[in-house]
Amino acid sequence: MTAQVAGSGRDMAHPRPPQDALVDRRDFMARMGALAALAALGGCAVREPGEVAAAPGPASDGAAFFRAVSRSDLPQEASTDPAELTAWEAGALIRDGDLGVEEYVEAYLERIRRWDGVYQAYGHVLEEEALAEARRQDSASPRSLLHGIPLAIKDNVYSAGIPTRANSHIFRDFVPDEDATVLARLRMAGGIPLGKSQLGPLATTRALTPDGEITTMNAWAPGDPRVSPGGSSSGSATAVMARLAASSIGTQTGGSITMPSLAQGLTGLKPTFGRTSLHGVIPLSYSRDHVGPLARDARDAALILQAMAGADPRDPRTQGLPPVPDFLNASLPVEGPNGPRVRWPTRIGVLPGWAGAPEEDGANRQAFLAEAREVGAEVVELDPPPAWEELTSIHFNTLRLVERTEPFVPYLKEDVRLFGVTLNSFLGGLFVSGDEYMKGQRAKLALLRLVMDEFLSQCDVVMLESHVPFDMIGFPLMTLPVGTRQAEGHTLPGGVLMGAGPFGEERLLAVATAIQARTDWHRRRPDDPTEAEEARMTGPNAPSRGHLDLETVTREAE
Amino acid sequence: MNSTPPFSPFPTASGSSRHGSPGTHQIEDEELDRWILTRLAMVGVDLGVLPEDDPDAPADQRRVLVSLRQILRERMPVVSDYPLDPMQFPPVLYPAHLPEVREATVVRADEGDILGEGP
Repeated sequence: MTAQVAGSGRDMAHPRPPQDALVDRRDFMARMGALAALAALGGCAVREPGEVAAAPGPASDGAAFFRAVSRSDLPQEASTDPAELTAWEAGALIRDGDLGVEEYVEAYLERIRRWDGVYQAYGHVLEEEALAEARRQDSASPRSLLHGIPLAIKDNVYSAGIPTRANSHIFRDFVPDEDATVLARLRMAGGIPLGKSQLGPLATTRALTPDGEITTMNAWAPGDPRVSPGGSSSGSATAVMARLAASSIGTQTGGSITMPSLAQGLTGLKPTFGRTSLHGVIPLSYSRDHVGPLARDARDAALILQAMAGADPRDPRTQGLPPVPDFLNASLPVEGPNGPRVRWPTRIGVLPGWAGAPEEDGANRQAFLAEAREVGAEVVELDPPPAWEELTSIHFNTLRLVERTEPFVPYLKEDVRLFGVTLNSFLGGLFVSGDEYMKGQRAKLALLRLVMDEFLSQCDVVMLESHVPFDMIGFPLMTLPVGTRQAEGHTLPGGVLMGAGPFGEERLLAVATAIQARTDWHRRRPDDPTEAEEARMTGPNAPSRGHLDLETVTREAE
Repeated sequence: MNSTPPFSPFPTASGSSRHGSPGTHQIEDEELDRWILTRLAMVGVDLGVLPEDDPDAPADQRRVLVSLRQILRERMPVVSDYPLDPMQFPPVLYPAHLPEVREATVVRADEGDILGEGP
């Protein structure tokens, strides 16, 4: 017997509702005691340890997903440069024999050779490995989801036989003997890593050397280091927006997927905690680390997430969760009588002041809401209680430093200089007492219930100012490029941040893809660097790109 | 007989602490620094390898102590004083994995509600 589903979710053409709609919010609290007892008695199956298996979904090989590509809609630039294609467009062309994998990979490698001296998106490029794999795939039948798709992999993700340095003195000589589960799955799905992308040291801030020198540029301002690429998955974002990779993965503990995605106009998706394995990912916070895609659009984000999501015998945090749904289906546009529609009836919740933000942010947010209404979403106003601001404050956010410190205590004892400009946040956890940390764990439940009872009882998607609350409770987040903004004399992409209930990735994908079917914000690309920008950043007299000091990094890392 | 539990209820309107706390703001920097350095020494962490005060260095002792004093003086007292009813809010490490969230979906999946339709 299925309880009445709160909220909404039935789609007449697609009767299966999104997974977040299946979480019954009305009996949410009443179920807790009984189900906790059930889990204690073994009602929640835990799989035995074993080898990495391919990601479980979707049910098919994605043929329908790729068949839905309309050749007439492909960008004109792509006729001369396949690096301009989205991953799903390229996947369709490869499947149809219209694009060779080696040709496709070589297009990216050529751009990396030409431009990565300016962007510094990569710390390590895998040219020979990528070409060898491309040639191998050209001789195979393109059946796997990511067949031939060139990817940037954040350099805190273990890569077998390839340095994994995390821009840290601690890992400067580290060469893992295995791939992280997420990378193994991307490879099994046919993804081709082009290199390890730059990040803030140990995934804390915008991409820097361990001692604070700026490395990676924002693709929209390649000659101006003042414009942040967003952190900490800076290189992954720059690689995708500068067309140095078709798509990428990053990690997020405190905004590290969503912030660089917003900074560079990408569609970033931080999944629900546990959707993607953390085995083989250098930890920053055991309870808040997530792996997810930084992509060109919602369909690309769905493709990457589909290839790597699912339970992993080597990460107990992925066990016993709802099955991986069909993200590809959720990301397919649905056409209504008057144009694109959101796949499932969806209510979008807006917090006070969100739509009235100053300058371009406000205009962009209002443009988003107008588009959301056009695709059939209902916009509702939310009224958060005072506890919302208190529980999402820097005070409670600081408690995560305990989890940051613990795995690194041996290195703190060895030599604190190993941490460079990130030292403060790694020491911080030593100064949170056990009772304070426990209060933080209790506050998570308070925040969870506040979000479920005050927000998600009235809406399916919440528009957010900050990633913090949903990072804390592990709920999914997604960014959508919308409009433009001005910074340091540059015109940069604007964007919005959406959150959903647990396991609500399909909901976010459906909203994003409906709006992207009506708009072209996600299609905008920056020009390649000018000669002057190239000379300024790479010439013989190129000045330092600048550096971030301890105080700035401490602030950003928190 | 008093049936009111001796715990703080979840704040709904006024929020914030009902207890207040003298906090560490009444403790001088020097005293806090001594405690910080003692704590680090007990763990086996040596700040002495850093320069004492060098703004050009990646890190120095002065700036590290400023940061750690801030956590102790400004952050943790707010957390410590925040009222949360232990009956209502037991600790949860992974909120999205709560049985009340997870099982609701898994059970419905087992019933076939969310399976069976391919792309």
